[in-house]
Amino acid sequence: MPSTAAITGLGFITSIGLTKAEVANRLRHGQSGLVEFDFCGNPRHPVKVAAPVPGFYFDGPNWREWSWPAGYEIPRETVRGLPPHGVYAFCAIEQALADAGLRLEDITSSDTGLFCASAGSPYMMWHHLEELAASQYERGHPLSVVSSIAGTLNFNLAAHFRITGAVAGFVSACTSGSHAIGYALDEIRLGRQQRMIVVAAEELNAQTDLPFAAMRALSTNPDPATASRPFDVERDGFVPTGGAVVLILEAPELAQARGAKAYAEISGWGQAADGYNVATSHPEGLGLRNAMLRAAKDAGIAMSDVDYINAHATSTPAGDRSEALALRSLIAPDARTIVSGTKGLTGHGLSMAGVMEAAFCALTFSEKFLPGNPKLVNPDPVCKGLNLPKESIAADPRIVMNNTSGFGGSNVCHVLRAPSPAFARS
Amino acid sequence: MSTPSVSPIPRRAPFDPLGKFPEGVKAAYTKYLQTADAAALDTVVLAVVRDYVPKTVVLPTDQPLPDNARLIADLGFDSLAISETVFFLEDLFKVRITNAEIIKVRTVGELRSFVRAKLASLPARKR
Repeated sequence: MPSTAAITGLGFITSIGLTKAEVANRLRHGQSGLVEFDFCGNPRHPVKVAAPVPGFYFDGPNWREWSWPAGYEIPRETVRGLPPHGVYAFCAIEQALADAGLRLEDITSSDTGLFCASAGSPYMMWHHLEELAASQYERGHPLSVVSSIAGTLNFNLAAHFRITGAVAGFVSACTSGSHAIGYALDEIRLGRQQRMIVVAAEELNAQTDLPFAAMRALSTNPDPATASRPFDVERDGFVPTGGAVVLILEAPELAQARGAKAYAEISGWGQAADGYNVATSHPEGLGLRNAMLRAAKDAGIAMSDVDYINAHATSTPAGDRSEALALRSLIAPDARTIVSGTKGLTGHGLSMAGVMEAAFCALTFSEKFLPGNPKLVNPDPVCKGLNLPKESIAADPRIVMNNTSGFGGSNVCHVLRAPSPAFARS
Repeated sequence: MSTPSVSPIPRRAPFDPLGKFPEGVKAAYTKYLQTADAAALDTVVLAVVRDYVPKTVVLPTDQPLPDNARLIADLGFDSLAISETVFFLEDLFKVRITNAEIIKVRTVGELRSFVRAKLASLPARKR
Protein backbone atom coordinates (compact mmCIF):
# COMPACT_ATOMS: atom_id res chain seq x y z
CA MET A 1 0.00 0.00 0.00
CA PRO A 2 1.33 3.48 -0.78
CA SER A 3 2.17 5.77 2.14
CA THR A 4 1.68 8.97 0.12
CA ALA A 5 -0.54 10.26 -2.66
CA ALA A 6 0.89 12.20 -5.60
CA ILE A 7 -0.81 15.44 -6.62
CA THR A 8 -0.81 15.15 -10.40
CA GLY A 9 -3.39 17.75 -11.39
CA LEU A 10 -4.61 21.14 -10.19
CA GLY A 11 -7.58 23.29 -11.15
CA PHE A 12 -8.14 26.87 -10.03
CA ILE A 13 -11.24 29.04 -10.24
CA THR A 14 -10.29 31.70 -7.69
CA SER A 15 -10.36 35.38 -6.93
CA ILE A 16 -6.68 35.55 -7.87
CA GLY A 17 -6.91 33.69 -11.14
CA LEU A 18 -8.62 31.18 -13.36
CA THR A 19 -5.43 29.37 -14.37
CA LYS A 20 -2.50 27.86 -12.52
CA ALA A 21 -0.10 30.33 -14.13
CA GLU A 22 -2.12 33.38 -13.10
CA VAL A 23 -2.59 32.09 -9.55
CA ALA A 24 1.12 31.36 -9.15
CA ASN A 25 2.04 34.77 -10.54
CA ARG A 26 -0.31 36.68 -8.26
CA LEU A 27 0.71 34.68 -5.18
CA ARG A 28 4.34 35.32 -5.98
CA HIS A 29 3.84 39.04 -6.46
CA GLY A 30 1.30 39.55 -3.69
CA GLN A 31 -1.53 40.73 -5.95
CA SER A 32 -4.81 40.49 -4.12
CA GLY A 33 -8.26 39.55 -5.45
CA LEU A 34 -10.08 41.79 -2.98
CA VAL A 35 -12.29 44.58 -4.33
CA GLU A 36 -15.10 46.82 -3.16
CA PHE A 37 -18.21 44.67 -3.35
CA ASP A 38 -21.94 45.29 -3.08
CA PHE A 39 -23.57 42.18 -1.55
CA CYS A 40 -27.19 43.23 -1.31
CA GLY A 41 -27.80 46.74 -2.64
CA ASN A 42 -27.95 48.14 0.88
CA PRO A 43 -25.58 51.09 1.27
CA ARG A 44 -25.92 50.92 5.06
CA HIS A 45 -24.51 47.38 5.20
CA PRO A 46 -21.13 47.53 6.96
CA VAL A 47 -19.46 44.81 4.84
CA LYS A 48 -17.96 46.53 1.80
CA VAL A 49 -15.17 44.26 0.55
CA ALA A 50 -15.08 40.76 -0.94
CA ALA A 51 -13.02 38.68 -3.36
CA PRO A 52 -15.25 37.74 -6.31
CA VAL A 53 -14.26 35.36 -9.08
CA PRO A 54 -13.90 37.32 -12.34
CA GLY A 55 -15.67 36.10 -15.46
CA PHE A 56 -18.57 34.32 -13.73
CA TYR A 57 -21.99 35.96 -13.39
CA PHE A 58 -24.94 34.43 -11.57
CA ASP A 59 -27.56 37.04 -12.14
CA GLY A 60 -30.50 35.18 -10.63
CA PRO A 61 -31.34 31.62 -9.56
CA ASN A 62 -32.13 30.38 -13.09
CA TRP A 63 -29.12 28.98 -14.98
CA ARG A 64 -30.32 30.78 -18.12
CA GLU A 65 -29.23 33.99 -16.40
CA TRP A 66 -25.71 32.71 -15.77
CA SER A 67 -22.53 33.13 -17.74
CA TRP A 68 -19.07 31.67 -17.35
CA PRO A 69 -15.82 31.93 -19.29
CA ALA A 70 -15.67 30.60 -22.84
CA GLY A 71 -14.04 27.21 -23.21
CA TYR A 72 -16.08 25.39 -20.55
CA GLU A 73 -18.96 23.46 -22.14
CA ILE A 74 -21.51 22.56 -19.48
CA PRO A 75 -24.23 20.41 -21.02
CA ARG A 76 -27.86 21.31 -20.45
CA GLU A 77 -28.49 18.12 -18.48
CA THR A 78 -25.66 19.00 -16.08
CA VAL A 79 -26.13 22.74 -15.59
CA ARG A 80 -29.83 22.30 -14.76
CA GLY A 81 -28.92 20.72 -11.39
CA LEU A 82 -25.99 22.94 -10.45
CA PRO A 83 -25.85 25.79 -7.96
CA PRO A 84 -23.48 28.67 -8.78
CA HIS A 85 -20.57 27.07 -6.93
CA GLY A 86 -21.23 23.89 -8.92
CA VAL A 87 -20.35 25.86 -12.05
CA TYR A 88 -17.07 26.90 -10.45
CA ALA A 89 -16.45 23.27 -9.45
CA PHE A 90 -17.24 21.94 -12.94
CA CYS A 91 -14.71 24.32 -14.51
CA ALA A 92 -12.02 23.58 -11.91
CA ILE A 93 -12.42 19.81 -12.43
CA GLU A 94 -12.17 20.16 -16.21
CA GLN A 95 -8.97 22.13 -15.72
CA ALA A 96 -7.47 19.62 -13.27
CA LEU A 97 -8.33 16.57 -15.40
CA ALA A 98 -6.63 18.17 -18.39
CA ASP A 99 -3.67 19.20 -16.23
CA ALA A 100 -3.26 15.62 -14.99
CA GLY A 101 -3.58 14.26 -18.53
CA LEU A 102 -6.34 11.83 -17.60
CA ARG A 103 -8.39 10.03 -20.22
CA LEU A 104 -12.12 9.34 -20.05
CA GLU A 105 -11.55 5.70 -19.12
CA ASP A 106 -9.29 6.75 -16.22
CA ILE A 107 -12.02 9.00 -14.84
CA THR A 108 -14.87 6.51 -15.18
CA SER A 109 -12.81 3.58 -13.83
CA SER A 110 -14.02 2.15 -10.51
CA ASP A 111 -10.48 2.87 -9.25
CA THR A 112 -11.25 6.62 -9.38
CA GLY A 113 -13.30 8.34 -6.67
CA LEU A 114 -14.64 11.83 -6.06
CA PHE A 115 -14.67 13.65 -2.73
CA CYS A 116 -16.34 17.04 -2.51
CA ALA A 117 -16.46 19.85 0.03
CA SER A 118 -19.33 22.30 0.00
CA ALA A 119 -21.73 23.88 2.42
CA GLY A 120 -24.49 23.68 -0.20
CA SER A 121 -26.13 26.72 -1.69
CA PRO A 122 -28.11 28.89 0.72
CA TYR A 123 -28.88 31.11 -2.28
CA MET A 124 -30.59 28.35 -4.27
CA MET A 125 -32.21 26.96 -1.11
CA TRP A 126 -33.61 30.37 -0.22
CA HIS A 127 -35.03 30.91 -3.70
CA HIS A 128 -36.56 27.45 -3.98
CA LEU A 129 -38.06 27.49 -0.49
CA GLU A 130 -39.55 30.92 -1.15
CA GLU A 131 -41.18 29.53 -4.31
CA LEU A 132 -42.40 26.44 -2.46
CA ALA A 133 -43.78 28.47 0.45
CA ALA A 134 -45.63 30.77 -1.95
CA SER A 135 -47.72 27.78 -3.03
CA GLN A 136 -48.19 26.60 0.56
CA TYR A 137 -45.60 23.89 -0.21
CA GLU A 138 -47.68 22.40 -3.04
CA ARG A 139 -45.42 23.26 -5.94
CA GLY A 140 -41.64 23.46 -6.14
CA HIS A 141 -38.92 23.30 -8.77
CA PRO A 142 -37.96 19.70 -9.61
CA LEU A 143 -34.23 20.45 -9.35
CA SER A 144 -34.51 22.34 -6.06
CA VAL A 145 -33.07 19.56 -3.90
CA VAL A 146 -30.08 18.56 -5.99
CA SER A 147 -29.12 22.18 -6.71
CA SER A 148 -29.13 23.36 -3.13
CA ILE A 149 -28.51 20.88 -0.32
CA ALA A 150 -25.03 20.23 1.02
CA GLY A 151 -24.39 17.20 -1.21
CA THR A 152 -25.03 19.16 -4.39
CA LEU A 153 -21.47 18.91 -5.69
CA ASN A 154 -21.17 15.16 -5.26
CA PHE A 155 -24.64 14.47 -6.73
CA ASN A 156 -24.11 16.51 -9.85
CA LEU A 157 -20.42 16.00 -10.53
CA ALA A 158 -20.44 12.23 -9.93
CA ALA A 159 -23.26 11.92 -12.46
CA HIS A 160 -21.68 14.23 -15.02
CA PHE A 161 -18.19 12.72 -14.89
CA ARG A 162 -19.60 9.15 -14.69
CA ILE A 163 -17.69 8.40 -11.49
CA THR A 164 -18.02 4.76 -10.43
CA GLY A 165 -15.60 4.68 -7.47
CA ALA A 166 -16.08 6.19 -4.01
CA VAL A 167 -18.21 9.35 -3.93
CA ALA A 168 -18.84 11.41 -0.80
CA GLY A 169 -19.25 14.94 0.45
CA PHE A 170 -17.68 16.60 3.47
CA VAL A 171 -19.38 19.22 5.61
CA SER A 172 -17.29 20.59 8.45
CA ALA A 173 -17.48 24.30 7.70
CA CYS A 174 -14.03 25.72 6.98
CA THR A 175 -12.30 22.34 7.42
CA SER A 176 -14.54 20.59 4.83
CA GLY A 177 -11.99 20.74 2.02
CA SER A 178 -9.17 19.60 4.28
CA HIS A 179 -11.21 16.66 5.52
CA ALA A 180 -11.90 15.70 1.89
CA ILE A 181 -8.14 15.67 1.17
CA GLY A 182 -7.31 13.72 4.32
CA TYR A 183 -9.88 11.01 3.72
CA ALA A 184 -8.93 10.89 0.03
CA LEU A 185 -5.34 10.16 1.09
CA ASP A 186 -6.70 7.40 3.33
CA GLU A 187 -8.67 5.85 0.43
CA ILE A 188 -5.45 5.61 -1.57
CA ARG A 189 -3.37 4.38 1.36
CA LEU A 190 -5.93 1.68 2.12
CA GLY A 191 -5.83 0.54 -1.48
CA ARG A 192 -9.54 1.17 -1.90
CA GLN A 193 -8.99 3.69 -4.69
CA GLN A 194 -6.05 4.36 -6.98
CA ARG A 195 -7.04 7.91 -7.78
CA MET A 196 -9.18 10.59 -6.10
CA ILE A 197 -10.59 13.79 -7.50
CA VAL A 198 -10.94 16.26 -4.61
CA VAL A 199 -13.00 19.36 -5.26
CA ALA A 200 -13.99 22.13 -2.87
CA ALA A 201 -16.18 25.07 -3.79
CA GLU A 202 -18.10 27.92 -2.30
CA GLU A 203 -20.39 30.71 -3.44
CA LEU A 204 -19.90 34.41 -2.87
CA ASN A 205 -23.24 36.05 -2.22
CA ALA A 206 -25.37 37.57 0.51
CA GLN A 207 -27.00 34.25 1.42
CA THR A 208 -23.74 32.34 1.93
CA ASP A 209 -21.66 35.12 3.43
CA LEU A 210 -23.69 37.73 5.27
CA PRO A 211 -24.85 35.37 8.01
CA PHE A 212 -21.18 35.49 9.07
CA ALA A 213 -21.54 39.25 9.52
CA ALA A 214 -24.32 38.49 11.99
CA MET A 215 -21.68 36.55 13.97
CA ARG A 216 -19.36 39.60 13.76
CA ALA A 217 -16.84 37.45 11.88
CA LEU A 218 -16.56 39.55 8.69
CA SER A 219 -14.24 42.50 8.22
CA THR A 220 -16.00 45.87 8.04
CA ASN A 221 -12.86 47.57 6.76
CA PRO A 222 -14.01 49.30 3.54
CA ASP A 223 -10.52 49.37 1.97
CA PRO A 224 -9.57 46.31 -0.14
CA ALA A 225 -5.88 47.20 0.37
CA THR A 226 -6.05 46.66 4.13
CA ALA A 227 -9.08 44.42 4.75
CA SER A 228 -8.04 40.80 5.51
CA ARG A 229 -4.53 41.12 6.96
CA PRO A 230 -3.73 37.95 8.83
CA PHE A 231 -1.62 38.32 11.99
CA ASP A 232 -1.73 42.16 11.87
CA VAL A 233 -2.72 43.98 15.08
CA GLU A 234 -5.43 45.80 13.11
CA ARG A 235 -7.09 42.74 11.61
CA ASP A 236 -10.85 42.92 12.13
CA GLY A 237 -12.41 39.83 10.55
CA PHE A 238 -12.36 37.79 7.38
CA VAL A 239 -13.19 38.83 3.82
CA PRO A 240 -15.28 36.24 1.94
CA THR A 241 -14.44 34.72 -1.42
CA GLY A 242 -15.99 32.11 -3.72
CA GLY A 243 -14.65 29.74 -6.36
CA ALA A 244 -13.48 26.16 -6.63
CA VAL A 245 -10.15 24.36 -6.46
CA VAL A 246 -9.39 20.77 -7.43
CA LEU A 247 -6.59 18.36 -6.59
CA ILE A 248 -6.08 15.09 -8.45
CA LEU A 249 -4.49 12.57 -6.08
CA GLU A 250 -3.01 9.32 -7.34
CA ALA A 251 -1.18 6.33 -5.93
CA PRO A 252 2.45 7.27 -6.76
CA GLU A 253 3.13 3.96 -8.53
CA LEU A 254 0.13 4.43 -10.79
CA ALA A 255 1.08 8.03 -11.56
CA GLN A 256 4.62 7.01 -12.48
CA ALA A 257 3.44 4.06 -14.55
CA ARG A 258 1.27 6.27 -16.72
CA GLY A 259 4.03 8.85 -17.08
CA ALA A 260 2.29 11.56 -15.05
CA LYS A 261 4.23 14.33 -13.32
CA ALA A 262 3.61 15.28 -9.70
CA TYR A 263 3.54 18.69 -8.05
CA ALA A 264 3.96 17.19 -4.60
CA GLU A 265 3.16 14.17 -2.51
CA ILE A 266 0.80 14.36 0.43
CA SER A 267 2.68 12.39 3.03
CA GLY A 268 0.46 12.73 6.08
CA TRP A 269 -2.46 14.34 7.76
CA GLY A 270 -3.87 14.80 11.21
CA GLN A 271 -6.95 16.18 12.84
CA ALA A 272 -7.91 17.10 16.37
CA ALA A 273 -10.79 19.08 17.81
CA ASP A 274 -10.68 21.78 20.47
CA GLY A 275 -13.50 20.45 22.66
CA TYR A 276 -14.15 24.04 23.53
CA ASN A 277 -16.64 26.26 21.64
CA VAL A 278 -19.05 26.13 18.70
CA ALA A 279 -17.46 29.07 16.88
CA THR A 280 -14.37 30.41 18.66
CA SER A 281 -11.11 28.51 18.54
CA HIS A 282 -9.38 27.34 21.69
CA PRO A 283 -7.51 30.34 23.16
CA GLU A 284 -4.13 28.57 23.00
CA GLY A 285 -4.90 26.70 19.78
CA LEU A 286 -4.79 23.35 21.55
CA GLY A 287 -6.68 21.41 18.86
CA LEU A 288 -4.67 22.91 16.02
CA ARG A 289 -1.42 22.12 17.84
CA ASN A 290 -2.54 18.50 18.21
CA ALA A 291 -3.59 18.32 14.56
CA MET A 292 -0.13 19.55 13.48
CA LEU A 293 1.61 17.04 15.76
CA ARG A 294 -0.52 14.20 14.43
CA ALA A 295 0.12 15.23 10.83
CA ALA A 296 3.87 15.42 11.45
CA LYS A 297 3.87 12.00 13.12
CA ASP A 298 1.82 10.52 10.29
CA ALA A 299 4.27 11.93 7.73
CA GLY A 300 7.27 10.78 9.78
CA ILE A 301 8.77 14.25 10.10
CA ALA A 302 9.83 16.57 12.90
CA MET A 303 8.40 20.09 13.11
CA SER A 304 11.94 21.38 12.54
CA ASP A 305 11.84 19.78 9.06
CA VAL A 306 9.03 22.08 7.93
CA ASP A 307 10.08 24.76 5.43
CA TYR A 308 6.73 26.51 5.13
CA ILE A 309 3.33 26.55 6.83
CA ASN A 310 0.27 27.94 5.08
CA ALA A 311 -1.64 29.14 8.13
CA HIS A 312 -5.42 29.05 8.36
CA ALA A 313 -5.20 32.72 9.47
CA THR A 314 -8.55 34.15 8.38
CA SER A 315 -7.74 37.59 9.86
CA THR A 316 -10.17 37.31 12.76
CA PRO A 317 -8.79 38.66 16.05
CA ALA A 318 -9.36 35.44 18.03
CA GLY A 319 -8.58 32.87 15.33
CA ASP A 320 -5.20 34.27 14.27
CA ARG A 321 -4.22 34.64 17.91
CA SER A 322 -4.88 30.98 18.75
CA GLU A 323 -3.10 29.84 15.61
CA ALA A 324 -0.06 32.00 16.39
CA LEU A 325 0.12 30.45 19.85
CA ALA A 326 -0.26 26.93 18.45
CA LEU A 327 2.53 27.62 15.94
CA ARG A 328 4.82 29.13 18.58
CA SER A 329 4.35 26.08 20.78
CA LEU A 330 5.82 23.89 18.01
CA ILE A 331 8.29 26.12 16.15
CA ALA A 332 11.47 27.30 17.81
CA PRO A 333 11.98 31.12 17.73
CA ASP A 334 15.06 30.82 15.52
CA ALA A 335 13.58 28.21 13.20
CA ARG A 336 13.77 28.74 9.44
CA THR A 337 10.09 27.79 9.00
CA ILE A 338 8.25 30.44 6.97
CA VAL A 339 4.62 31.12 7.88
CA SER A 340 2.08 32.98 5.75
CA GLY A 341 -1.65 33.53 5.59
CA THR A 342 -2.68 33.67 1.94
CA LYS A 343 -6.25 34.70 2.81
CA GLY A 344 -4.91 38.26 2.85
CA LEU A 345 -4.69 37.91 -0.94
CA THR A 346 -7.56 35.55 -1.74
CA GLY A 347 -10.13 36.15 0.98
CA HIS A 348 -11.56 33.22 2.94
CA GLY A 349 -13.20 30.49 0.86
CA LEU A 350 -14.90 28.68 3.79
CA SER A 351 -15.42 25.03 2.63
CA MET A 352 -12.95 25.67 -0.17
CA ALA A 353 -10.13 27.03 2.02
CA GLY A 354 -8.29 23.79 2.77
CA VAL A 355 -8.14 22.63 -0.83
CA MET A 356 -7.26 26.06 -2.20
CA GLU A 357 -4.37 26.40 0.21
CA ALA A 358 -3.20 22.79 -0.24
CA ALA A 359 -3.02 23.62 -3.95
CA PHE A 360 -0.97 26.75 -3.15
CA CYS A 361 1.34 24.55 -1.06
CA ALA A 362 1.65 22.11 -3.98
CA LEU A 363 2.75 24.98 -6.23
CA THR A 364 5.61 25.95 -3.92
CA PHE A 365 7.62 22.90 -5.08
CA SER A 366 7.33 23.43 -8.83
CA GLU A 367 7.23 27.25 -8.75
CA LYS A 368 10.08 27.47 -6.21
CA PHE A 369 8.69 30.17 -3.96
CA LEU A 370 6.93 30.53 -0.62
CA PRO A 371 4.05 33.04 -0.49
CA GLY A 372 4.49 36.05 1.81
CA ASN A 373 2.21 38.24 3.92
CA PRO A 374 2.08 41.39 1.76
CA LYS A 375 -0.58 43.13 3.85
CA LEU A 376 1.10 42.57 7.20
CA VAL A 377 2.22 45.97 8.54
CA ASN A 378 2.23 45.65 12.33
CA PRO A 379 2.50 42.02 13.40
CA ASP A 380 0.50 41.23 16.51
CA PRO A 381 2.93 40.79 19.42
CA VAL A 382 1.36 37.38 19.95
CA CYS A 383 3.24 36.32 16.78
CA LYS A 384 6.65 37.04 18.35
CA GLY A 385 9.25 34.60 17.05
CA LEU A 386 7.25 33.52 13.99
CA ASN A 387 8.91 34.08 10.63
CA LEU A 388 6.25 36.08 8.73
CA PRO A 389 7.92 37.63 5.68
CA LYS A 390 6.09 40.38 3.83
CA GLU A 391 7.34 39.44 0.36
CA SER A 392 7.29 35.97 -1.13
CA ILE A 393 10.58 34.11 -0.87
CA ALA A 394 12.43 32.17 -3.55
CA ALA A 395 12.96 28.69 -2.15
CA ASP A 396 13.26 25.02 -2.96
CA PRO A 397 11.12 23.54 -0.17
CA ARG A 398 11.17 19.88 0.85
CA ILE A 399 8.34 19.85 3.44
CA VAL A 400 5.35 22.18 3.75
CA MET A 401 2.27 22.13 5.97
CA ASN A 402 -1.27 23.36 5.47
CA ASN A 403 -3.44 24.28 8.46
CA THR A 404 -7.22 24.58 8.52
CA SER A 405 -9.68 25.22 11.35
CA GLY A 406 -13.46 25.23 11.34
CA PHE A 407 -16.54 25.69 13.48
CA GLY A 408 -16.91 23.38 16.42
CA GLY A 409 -13.16 23.62 16.95
CA SER A 410 -12.33 21.15 14.21
CA ASN A 411 -8.70 21.37 13.03
CA VAL A 412 -6.98 19.60 10.14
CA CYS A 413 -3.35 19.70 9.04
CA HIS A 414 -1.72 18.19 5.93
CA VAL A 415 1.95 17.55 5.23
CA LEU A 416 3.17 17.84 1.65
CA ARG A 417 6.64 16.86 0.54
CA ALA A 418 8.65 17.46 -2.61
CA PRO A 419 7.78 14.70 -5.10
CA SER A 420 10.18 11.90 -5.81
CA PRO A 421 12.58 13.15 -8.55
CA ALA A 422 11.39 10.20 -10.69
CA PHE A 423 8.18 12.05 -11.51
CA ALA A 424 8.56 15.63 -10.26
CA ARG A 425 7.24 18.53 -12.31
CA SER A 426 10.15 20.74 -13.22
CA MET B 1 1.05 44.89 -3.64
CA SER B 2 -1.58 46.04 -6.06
CA THR B 3 -5.32 45.53 -6.12
CA PRO B 4 -6.79 44.95 -9.57
CA SER B 5 -10.18 46.54 -10.05
CA VAL B 6 -13.11 44.31 -11.00
CA SER B 7 -16.57 45.67 -11.70
CA PRO B 8 -19.15 44.70 -9.13
CA ILE B 9 -21.75 42.14 -10.22
CA PRO B 10 -24.45 43.98 -12.19
CA ARG B 11 -27.97 44.28 -10.78
CA ARG B 12 -30.37 41.71 -12.13
CA ALA B 13 -33.25 42.57 -14.45
CA PRO B 14 -36.62 40.78 -14.05
CA PHE B 15 -36.32 37.27 -15.48
CA ASP B 16 -38.21 36.64 -18.72
CA PRO B 17 -38.81 32.87 -19.05
CA LEU B 18 -38.90 33.11 -22.86
CA GLY B 19 -36.09 35.69 -22.93
CA LYS B 20 -33.62 33.48 -24.80
CA PHE B 21 -36.19 31.91 -27.14
CA PRO B 22 -36.38 32.90 -30.84
CA GLU B 23 -38.49 35.95 -31.67
CA GLY B 24 -40.98 33.74 -33.54
CA VAL B 25 -41.66 31.79 -30.34
CA LYS B 26 -42.21 34.96 -28.29
CA ALA B 27 -44.56 36.26 -30.97
CA ALA B 28 -46.46 32.96 -31.00
CA TYR B 29 -46.83 33.14 -27.20
CA THR B 30 -48.25 36.68 -27.43
CA LYS B 31 -50.56 35.59 -30.24
CA TYR B 32 -51.81 32.62 -28.21
CA LEU B 33 -52.51 34.82 -25.18
CA GLN B 34 -54.46 37.27 -27.34
CA THR B 35 -56.33 34.89 -29.64
CA ALA B 36 -56.05 31.37 -28.13
CA ASP B 37 -54.77 30.26 -31.53
CA ALA B 38 -53.96 26.54 -31.29
CA ALA B 39 -51.21 26.61 -33.92
CA ALA B 40 -49.43 29.40 -32.00
CA LEU B 41 -49.70 27.29 -28.85
CA ASP B 42 -48.11 24.35 -30.66
CA THR B 43 -45.20 26.56 -31.68
CA VAL B 44 -44.54 27.47 -28.05
CA VAL B 45 -44.89 23.90 -26.73
CA LEU B 46 -42.56 22.49 -29.38
CA ALA B 47 -39.98 25.19 -28.64
CA VAL B 48 -40.14 24.36 -24.94
CA VAL B 49 -39.68 20.64 -25.62
CA ARG B 50 -36.71 21.38 -27.83
CA ASP B 51 -35.25 23.62 -25.14
CA TYR B 52 -35.42 20.91 -22.49
CA VAL B 53 -33.84 18.21 -24.61
CA PRO B 54 -30.53 17.31 -22.94
CA LYS B 55 -27.70 18.71 -25.00
CA THR B 56 -26.15 15.28 -25.55
CA VAL B 57 -28.92 14.47 -28.03
CA VAL B 58 -28.26 16.40 -31.21
CA LEU B 59 -31.40 17.52 -33.03
CA PRO B 60 -31.47 19.10 -36.47
CA THR B 61 -32.48 22.71 -35.81
CA ASP B 62 -33.95 23.27 -39.27
CA GLN B 63 -36.59 20.55 -38.99
CA PRO B 64 -39.75 20.43 -36.83
CA LEU B 65 -39.91 17.88 -34.03
CA PRO B 66 -41.81 14.88 -35.36
CA ASP B 67 -45.05 14.11 -33.53
CA ASN B 68 -44.05 10.49 -33.10
CA ALA B 69 -40.72 11.28 -31.37
CA ARG B 70 -40.75 9.69 -27.91
CA LEU B 71 -39.57 12.08 -25.18
CA ILE B 72 -37.53 9.48 -23.31
CA ALA B 73 -36.56 6.88 -25.88
CA ASP B 74 -35.86 9.22 -28.81
CA LEU B 75 -35.12 12.66 -27.35
CA GLY B 76 -33.14 11.59 -24.27
CA PHE B 77 -35.44 13.07 -21.64
CA ASP B 78 -35.16 11.70 -18.12
CA SER B 79 -37.78 12.06 -15.40
CA LEU B 80 -36.21 15.33 -14.22
CA ALA B 81 -36.26 16.87 -17.69
CA ILE B 82 -39.94 15.94 -18.03
CA SER B 83 -40.65 17.46 -14.59
CA GLU B 84 -38.77 20.60 -15.61
CA THR B 85 -40.74 20.89 -18.86
CA VAL B 86 -44.00 20.51 -16.95
CA PHE B 87 -42.90 23.08 -14.35
CA PHE B 88 -41.99 25.54 -17.10
CA LEU B 89 -45.29 25.05 -18.96
CA GLU B 90 -47.21 25.42 -15.70
CA ASP B 91 -45.55 28.78 -15.09
CA LEU B 92 -45.97 29.96 -18.66
CA PHE B 93 -49.66 29.14 -18.92
CA LYS B 94 -50.63 29.47 -15.24
CA VAL B 95 -51.95 25.92 -14.99
CA ARG B 96 -51.39 22.92 -12.74
CA ILE B 97 -50.50 19.60 -14.32
CA THR B 98 -50.75 16.48 -12.15
CA ASN B 99 -48.49 13.43 -12.15
CA ALA B 100 -51.45 11.33 -13.32
CA GLU B 101 -51.86 13.60 -16.36
CA ILE B 102 -48.21 13.79 -17.40
CA ILE B 103 -47.47 10.12 -16.93
CA LYS B 104 -49.74 9.37 -19.93
CA VAL B 105 -47.71 11.64 -22.21
CA ARG B 106 -44.97 9.76 -24.06
CA THR B 107 -44.49 11.50 -27.40
CA VAL B 108 -44.15 15.04 -28.70
CA GLY B 109 -47.56 14.74 -30.39
CA GLU B 110 -49.19 13.55 -27.17
CA LEU B 111 -47.73 16.50 -25.26
CA ARG B 112 -48.92 18.93 -27.91
CA SER B 113 -52.46 17.50 -27.80
CA PHE B 114 -52.42 17.36 -24.00
CA VAL B 115 -51.48 21.04 -23.63
CA ARG B 116 -54.09 22.07 -26.25
CA ALA B 117 -56.83 20.16 -24.44
CA LYS B 118 -55.70 21.30 -21.01
CA LEU B 119 -55.75 24.98 -21.93
CA ALA B 120 -58.97 24.69 -23.94
CA SER B 121 -60.67 23.31 -20.85
CA LEU B 122 -59.82 26.44 -18.82
CA PRO B 123 -62.09 29.45 -18.47
CA ALA B 124 -61.00 32.18 -20.91
CA ARG B 125 -59.83 34.52 -18.11
CA LYS B 126 -57.08 32.10 -17.11
CA ARG B 127 -55.28 32.31 -20.41
